[in-house]
Amino acid sequence: MAQLRSSAAKSVALWYGLLILATVIMYLARDRQESQAHVVLVYLLIVLGGSVSGGRPLGFTLAAASTILVSYYFQAPFDEFSLSKPVDAIVLSAFMATAATTTYLLVRAQEEAAEARARAEEIQRLSAEASHAAALREAARFKDILLASVSHDLRTPLTSIKALAQDAADSGDANSVIIVAQTERLSKMVAHLLDMSRVNAGAYPMSLEVNTVEDLAGAVVTEMMGANAADRVHVTIDYSAPALVGMFDFVETIRILTNLIDNALLYSPDSETVELSASRVGDWLQLDVADRGPGVPKDDVERIFEPFYRHAATSGTAPGTGLGLAIARSLAKAQGGTIEYAPRKGGGSVFTLRLPAVEDPGFQLDE
Amino acid sequence: MVMHSTRTDATVLIIDDEPEIRHVVRSALRSTVARVIDAVDGHTGLAAVRAQTPDLIVLDLGLPDQSGLDLCRSIRAYSLAPIVVLTARHIESDKVALLNAGADDYVTKPFSTSEFAARVAAQIRRARTARPGTSGVVETDGVSIDFTSRIATRDSRPIRLTPIEWAILRALTGDPGRVYTHQQLFDAVWAREFGDARQYLRVHITNLRRKIERDPTHPHVIITEPGAGYRFGIPMAQESA
Repeated sequence: MAQLRSSAAKSVALWYGLLILATVIMYLARDRQESQAHVVLVYLLIVLGGSVSGGRPLGFTLAAASTILVSYYFQAPFDEFSLSKPVDAIVLSAFMATAATTTYLLVRAQEEAAEARARAEEIQRLSAEASHAAALREAARFKDILLASVSHDLRTPLTSIKALAQDAADSGDANSVIIVAQTERLSKMVAHLLDMSRVNAGAYPMSLEVNTVEDLAGAVVTEMMGANAADRVHVTIDYSAPALVGMFDFVETIRILTNLIDNALLYSPDSETVELSASRVGDWLQLDVADRGPGVPKDDVERIFEPFYRHAATSGTAPGTGLGLAIARSLAKAQGGTIEYAPRKGGGSVFTLRLPAVEDPGFQLDE
Repeated sequence: MVMHSTRTDATVLIIDDEPEIRHVVRSALRSTVARVIDAVDGHTGLAAVRAQTPDLIVLDLGLPDQSGLDLCRSIRAYSLAPIVVLTARHIESDKVALLNAGADDYVTKPFSTSEFAARVAAQIRRARTARPGTSGVVETDGVSIDFTSRIATRDSRPIRLTPIEWAILRALTGDPGRVYTHQQLFDAVWAREFGDARQYLRVHITNLRRKIERDPTHPHVIITEPGAGYRFGIPMAQESA
């Protein structure tokens, strides 16, 4: 800003200096001049120069000053203001008009040039941004391919190990039972790491559709059956009330709930079941996963949703990955939902998943 | 999952480039099917489909020479045998594409061998079961659905179904055990109707389950395939026939 002001002051000094210098020279040569044309042209040049370097204010003031100077010093009778001949008046007004018009046009041309430059820069910036976005898309696609290939490379050997150990375990080998369990643990870790990297990649695509809680709970129970944990999950849904309907991504929500239930099972005594219940609260579907585990210390309530957090009392012994809750919360957030923790009455934890509800369309009766 | 996997005289073709996985599949199926043949890539796999006419094809998606989707389509040009896909991706978005390309079922690695064998057995059974057709009676898990007289019963007690619920059942029982994608069900039930009605497919399924399932959250009649669609439970009574 200060620099701008000082450069404006410089051009004012320069062009007024030239104006004075030219006036002095032409004044000294005044008696030898035959017409006002030379004077007017010299002043016009100064006005144009001033306009170019100082813009409208300098151009117009130089034009006004030149008009006064022409009239005072160079139109007879000299050294006084009087328009004795009509031609003098014409010359003066022609000069004034020309000076003002050229000043105006010059400055406008300059402004338009500046605007065009700015527009060109903007276009350049936008095209740079567009190519950056294209690069990001390409990176995301590459990441997807990489994840698929890592996923394939990690899961294929796990498949053989698990299958062969299962065979041996079925024929009574106790060591193989442990290999099977550890392979399952490793598979879960691979799945969690892949989920985490997908979630971290941002702009996670969700397919939000009208779904029901019952359908979801059924799919979750089936999933737990695969992990031989279905009998430890107890689902409470009121079948006499209209179906609970929401707008959510079915597959990702299964993942959220299995993560919450896995976590609950992990921290609960083997004799205890984990309760999954659902209700409608205002505009939200509320899914509660309740356990009889040790609960979460007050200071750790927000930290449990951070990646790699482990409960202090169980760290090193609990076979979780420390990623389940972080993934669950990110997947909930990505579809406009939330996950909160609350202590359970009588001991344990309640993890509450909230998802946007949709009005039940009421198809219960014959249409 | 308890399955009474009676050994069939079926021939299964496994197309997989990993010898370990071929071994695992072979050993998982040894008590289920009579013969397992294998191919190490898509090219020889397709040749085997034409020459050996297997009863079922197990296809690994991670083949070196061509994409699993393309191979599925190529196989479908020669054979109607069920295709069970092995996939390492646990992203369900590929499932619909696979089903549309002609795959019948998919198993995600690392899979349990007993579950895999059960799925293979179910697909062979499905392929050999006569389609009930639109006039027949379908019975499964205590539910009887008679499309001719439009009478449905659960444990001999009549159930009232809405026209849309009848249409959903008719679509799903067209080929019990086959996964119908959401889109296929939309098209079958709502035909050329567009708009709001279609988005409530899952609500209709939920209401239908309350009427026909013993426990709607442990469904045996209409089974959800997450990210893909629904299938009708294969009538167990017909298994031994």
